[in-house]
Amino acid sequence: MIEVVQLTKSFGELRVLDGISFGVDKAEVVVVLGPSGSGKSTLLRCVSFLEPYDGGEIRIDGELVGYRMSGRGQRVPRSEAENARHRQQVGMVFQSFNLFPHKTALENVMMGPLHARGQTKAEALEIGLSLLAKVDLSDKANEYPIRLSGGQQQRVAIARALAMRPKVILFDEVTSALDPELVGEVLIVIRELAREGMTMIIVTHEIPFARDVADRIIFMDKGLIVEEGVPGRVLMAPASQRLQLFLRRYQGDYLAT
Amino acid sequence: MRAATRMDYAAQVTSFLLGQMPKLLAGFAVTLTVAVAAIPLALAFGMLLLAPRLSGRGLIRGAVQAYIEVMRGTPLLLQIYLIYFGLPLIGLFPSEFTCGVVGIALQHGAFLCELYRGAIESVSQRQWEAGRAIGMTRLAVFRYAILPQALMKVLGPLGNQLIVLIKDTSLVSAIGVMELTLTGKMVIERSAASFEIFVAVALFYLIVTAAVGAGFRLAEQRYAGRL
Amino acid sequence: MPDVLAKNLPYLLSGAVMTLWLSLAVVGLSTALGFIIGTLGAVGGRTTRALVTAYIFILRGIPVLVVMFLGYYAFPAFGYRANAYVAVGAAQIVYAGAFVAEIVRSAILSVPAGQIAAARGLGMPRAKILMHVVFPQAVRLAIPPLLNTSLTTIKQTSYASVVGAWELTYAAREVVERTLAAFQIFLGVMAIYFCICYPLSALSRWCEGRFVVAH
Repeated sequence: MIEVVQLTKSFGELRVLDGISFGVDKAEVVVVLGPSGSGKSTLLRCVSFLEPYDGGEIRIDGELVGYRMSGRGQRVPRSEAENARHRQQVGMVFQSFNLFPHKTALENVMMGPLHARGQTKAEALEIGLSLLAKVDLSDKANEYPIRLSGGQQQRVAIARALAMRPKVILFDEVTSALDPELVGEVLIVIRELAREGMTMIIVTHEIPFARDVADRIIFMDKGLIVEEGVPGRVLMAPASQRLQLFLRRYQGDYLAT
Repeated sequence: MRAATRMDYAAQVTSFLLGQMPKLLAGFAVTLTVAVAAIPLALAFGMLLLAPRLSGRGLIRGAVQAYIEVMRGTPLLLQIYLIYFGLPLIGLFPSEFTCGVVGIALQHGAFLCELYRGAIESVSQRQWEAGRAIGMTRLAVFRYAILPQALMKVLGPLGNQLIVLIKDTSLVSAIGVMELTLTGKMVIERSAASFEIFVAVALFYLIVTAAVGAGFRLAEQRYAGRL
Repeated sequence: MPDVLAKNLPYLLSGAVMTLWLSLAVVGLSTALGFIIGTLGAVGGRTTRALVTAYIFILRGIPVLVVMFLGYYAFPAFGYRANAYVAVGAAQIVYAGAFVAEIVRSAILSVPAGQIAAARGLGMPRAKILMHVVFPQAVRLAIPPLLNTSLTTIKQTSYASVVGAWELTYAAREVVERTLAAFQIFLGVMAIYFCICYPLSALSRWCEGRFVVAH
């Protein structure tokens, strides 16, 4: 369903993505691991086209993301309306939740259906209530984000992304900013989504969670894919030294460099 | 002063002030009229300047920026004089009142534009991302996510700026508008009154500015709990 | 340069010099006054703080022109024959002092409490904490708004002309009433004020850019 071919992106002099290629099938859960600066976030942002990319291709269901090919075979940026429609199909949940502080939890979830899809208030309300129930926050529907814990805010953010019925959801280190006790409630929601067959690309540091939920794990470093494979193999028998070092560090050996 | 003369003095002053009250109230009414006329003009003018200031093409944006810099760097009194003394030279004869109101609106509009810009820019970039990530167009994100937050954030600075505007209405006394300050000056010059008149004048201004300040603080507090 | 402006330029420039003197005196003295009052308003006892709050509230709520008139008419009322400059200058110093005081007070109070706690934990006496921990940071916080306030104060010296003190704006109005060349003279004088004020305005904007707090 998602095809990434030789994706490159630079920020000025810095080459953040150096030729990434992989695919994601429908209902597949791909976890991306890697040290900071490896380009994982940028990769997600390119898939959602919150960030343009320099070279290579990203295709969802065959359609090129962010650009179209002109008659002469040149790459031409798509219009804002097209990109907006694309993003309706690619849900994204951020590390810093990014809820709208001036709206209640319910109103946050309703924002997409109301103002991106143009649905009626009644429809949006129904979607909002059912999704808040799904993430177990029905009782907080009328609370403003400032009164919610980090874990609750993140669950609202997931509901908000789900409200658009996306084809795929991207998770960008969604538990890294949470207190440890609150991480579990979010991971449970994500795992449930995986069981229901949602296609997902998850960037995370939670190794046990990755092992549990991923169909495939990709390890990135310095803008390249270093290793790829099923969790069992990649996590138990890492082939590259960089992945070995990374795993040691994240599984408790804080002195590993 | 001995106690008796102090009492006499106080009684004298009070009765005198009460006698002048009608004049002062009339001047106060004019002050309020100038403010009520200038405020919407300034608010609107500021908004007019905002779009070019934020995203206009280079030449227009530069012109607006230059205009704002000039307003920042020159006294309001001069601009009022320029309008009042200058327009007749090109065949326009607006009243002193109009000159004053226009002068105030032209300057404060520039300041308000900067204020609006500050409020919009103070809304985190991440809010833009959040909106775009769920598929809203930039316009929709601005309308439903950014603008409401900017409106909540603008209340504090806006209240302060409007108080400055209300105080600046005293400047139109320089071109003969019989508002509160000029009224006070007239009363002193035409009677045996002394500076106590201006204490009364100050009190009038204080009442208005305190009321406006309190009103905006109340409005701010309503939204402070969310942002 | 237009002819009327050129002919009267020396006169106007001497008015500008007066404006500069006035500005220097008022900005300097009001800043000093405001620092003292503002500090007292932040660290003083309950009565002191209440008095400072009242002073700031009253002076910020009335127009500077009214304060100038008050000064102008109050001096003779109490038996002092002061010239217009002293009266108006003193009034403006008291007025601007209130704004500086509020800036200084709020800057001192914004220094993070954690820093003061850390200093006390090290056993520093109160005066030293004030001098070495609070003030340096408060000053950094206060500089951008203080620059803005000084800019406003300089522009407000022009209001002294309404009360009768001779400076650049007074001179400009004199020339215009004599020659009727309103556009030349007033635009020219605006340019002079702009030359005086723009450096400060630009500096203030640059400072705002540097001290902006990122989200």
